[in-house]
Amino acid sequence: MRSFWVDALFLATAALYLGASILFILFLMGRQHASDPGAPENEVRPLAPRLMALAAVLHGVHIVVFSLALHICPVEGIHFPLSVVAMLMGLAYIAMRRRYRIDAVGAFVAPLALATLLASRFVGGGALAPSTRMKSAVLPFHVTMNLLGVALFSLASASAILYLVQERRLKQKRLHGVFQRLPPLDALDRAEHRFLLAGFPLLTLGILSGTLWAVRLDADTVADLVRAGFGYGTWILFAGVLLLRAALGWRGRRAAYGTLAGFGFAMVVLLLYLLRGNTGTVS
Amino acid sequence: MILVVGISHKTAPLEVREKFSANADVLPAVLSRLAARPELSEVMFVSTCNRVEVVARSRTPGEEAGLLAVNAAREVLREHAGDARDFDAYLYDRTGEEAVRHVFRVAASLDSMVLGEPQILGQVKEAYEAAMGAGTLRGPLGRCVHRAFTVAKRVRTETQIGAGTVSISSVAVDLARRIFGGLDQSTVLLVGAGEMAEAAAKALGKGAKSMRVVNRSVERAAELAAHFGASAAPLDALEEELVHADVVVTSTGSPHFIVTKDLVKRVMRARRGRTLFFIDIAVPRNVDPRIDEVDNVFLFNVDDLEKEVAEGQKARHGELARAETIVDEELKGFLAWVRGLKVQPLVVGLRAKTRGVLVAELERTLAGRLKHLPDADRAALLQMMESATNKLLHTPLSRLKEAAASDDDEQLAQALATAFDIVPREEEVDSAPSGANEIAEVSVSAEAERVTH
Repeated sequence: MRSFWVDALFLATAALYLGASILFILFLMGRQHASDPGAPENEVRPLAPRLMALAAVLHGVHIVVFSLALHICPVEGIHFPLSVVAMLMGLAYIAMRRRYRIDAVGAFVAPLALATLLASRFVGGGALAPSTRMKSAVLPFHVTMNLLGVALFSLASASAILYLVQERRLKQKRLHGVFQRLPPLDALDRAEHRFLLAGFPLLTLGILSGTLWAVRLDADTVADLVRAGFGYGTWILFAGVLLLRAALGWRGRRAAYGTLAGFGFAMVVLLLYLLRGNTGTVS
Repeated sequence: MILVVGISHKTAPLEVREKFSANADVLPAVLSRLAARPELSEVMFVSTCNRVEVVARSRTPGEEAGLLAVNAAREVLREHAGDARDFDAYLYDRTGEEAVRHVFRVAASLDSMVLGEPQILGQVKEAYEAAMGAGTLRGPLGRCVHRAFTVAKRVRTETQIGAGTVSISSVAVDLARRIFGGLDQSTVLLVGAGEMAEAAAKALGKGAKSMRVVNRSVERAAELAAHFGASAAPLDALEEELVHADVVVTSTGSPHFIVTKDLVKRVMRARRGRTLFFIDIAVPRNVDPRIDEVDNVFLFNVDDLEKEVAEGQKARHGELARAETIVDEELKGFLAWVRGLKVQPLVVGLRAKTRGVLVAELERTLAGRLKHLPDADRAALLQMMESATNKLLHTPLSRLKEAAASDDDEQLAQALATAFDIVPREEEVDSAPSGANEIAEVSVSAEAERVTH
């Protein structure tokens, strides 16, 4: 019975993410009219964000029900926390959409959330409990900080991608065709910067707790060192983007490329965890 | 023969067009150079952001004279642009009927980058007035340009080609929105304080957080600034002003770039990379296009803006066919008038000959048998003779004009000229823009004076 509810919630969440994805993509491509005649052209109709919000809430419920069913903490293991990232990303987007005027970012966030939800279910065989050796209060803290950080960096990266697309269109003076409803360039740059600013302290805490944890466990295998290297690389790249922006005014295109590079490193770390996770328990 | 030689957005990029442009200061000199050419009898010079054209009429009719006139206009244009022969490939020419059609289409905004845009008619009218003022447009070409205004008016009122006008200003506002999300947090800087700056101020000033005007003449800048609640500064302060601006509209008459890449690089360092958006509506351009290579700097010049406007105006193309029909109708009417001009010397000659014979006979009689007649009776006799002449000539002249309108007048004209032994003088066409009646009236007045005294 519990399995039925877990599956039903999963399917409903996936369907809502799918619906939101379609609506957001149609909006981005200029196939959907703005919310009302008086509204700015790059403001989406309310249905898409509502579907997205509902999907994120159901996603949260699904995570809770699933955790209770399997008796695991949602932030332990690797695959299941991917699902948490997707949910956090969706919620953060919904919370910040209007404030940062980044409606079109939904066209990236909704499909990404859907893909992550599906991956959490079908890649690597679902949730895995950590080994007894790793049971520690540091682990949930480390994972939670990193997950929140990754969720915010995903939004920063989506904003960076759209920034680069919009910037290219403006530089080449090609403003017609697809991508009619991209957010204003400055709004994308600002959103990217603020998501980075919000995510960076969380990543820092995640890195520190991870280092502490690794030292305590004497983690010194090649895989551990590579993963740690990419983790530190992520931190250095994001720190560099923020520092150069503050000190030298590096914003716009350079900041977008830096953000994407940092996000790429973060994805490598996640991938390494996933590959590790496929082989058995997390260590 | 009417002819057009020019360069437009269809044949040349902005960097070439700007070499040919002429502002109000140099226009009289260009007009007088054109008027001084012996191959040209009438000239008008049109210079807008999108086109520079010499509209002229050859001194003598015929294809050969037309070709010489085209070459003369090309030479003057080349000299004006710095005598670079490389530019020759960008120049186009039209002669005869095609030239008239072109003038009509230009005035009606059917040849514009933004189909149906209203500014071109005003610009052609300004060129017409300048040519009239300089005395270089006093014959059939003047009539042709005047008719072009009628065409433009008909196209505007009888079609929807100008409906829902999207102007350069509205596109500029839209672009600012795509970059900044709106102007409410942006400072607009106007560089230049002429008419274009004023139009930009109207479009951008309302929604902007603040507006500044810099100009070579601070007084003019202050005048414009006061009108829009902005503040003014001299052109020397440009660099400092750029540091604080978000949207910059340049529209000075400077023949050189006043915003260079080096200047923008310095400004961007001082701005710490904050986005800067340039709208260069000046021709010649005020902003070096290479500034587009600088990060976070965006530049749109007249061509870019108008392409954007034109893209949004595709719906207007449906009205194009109706507008072209109007052009065809008016062209037909004008050509009929021009053909009528062809037989004008014969008409004048025929009237003069008939009247000359009758007046001579009347004078002889009045000097002999009827010399006792008082002045009033003499005037009545002259009037009677005049009416008889008109009635007598009415049918043949009407037939002649009808034949001329359908370009089938050659045989009839030849027959009349032979029958009455008349040798028409071609130059009478130039001096008779309003038709034979005016000439006839002048002749009648002179005769009346002689008969009554």
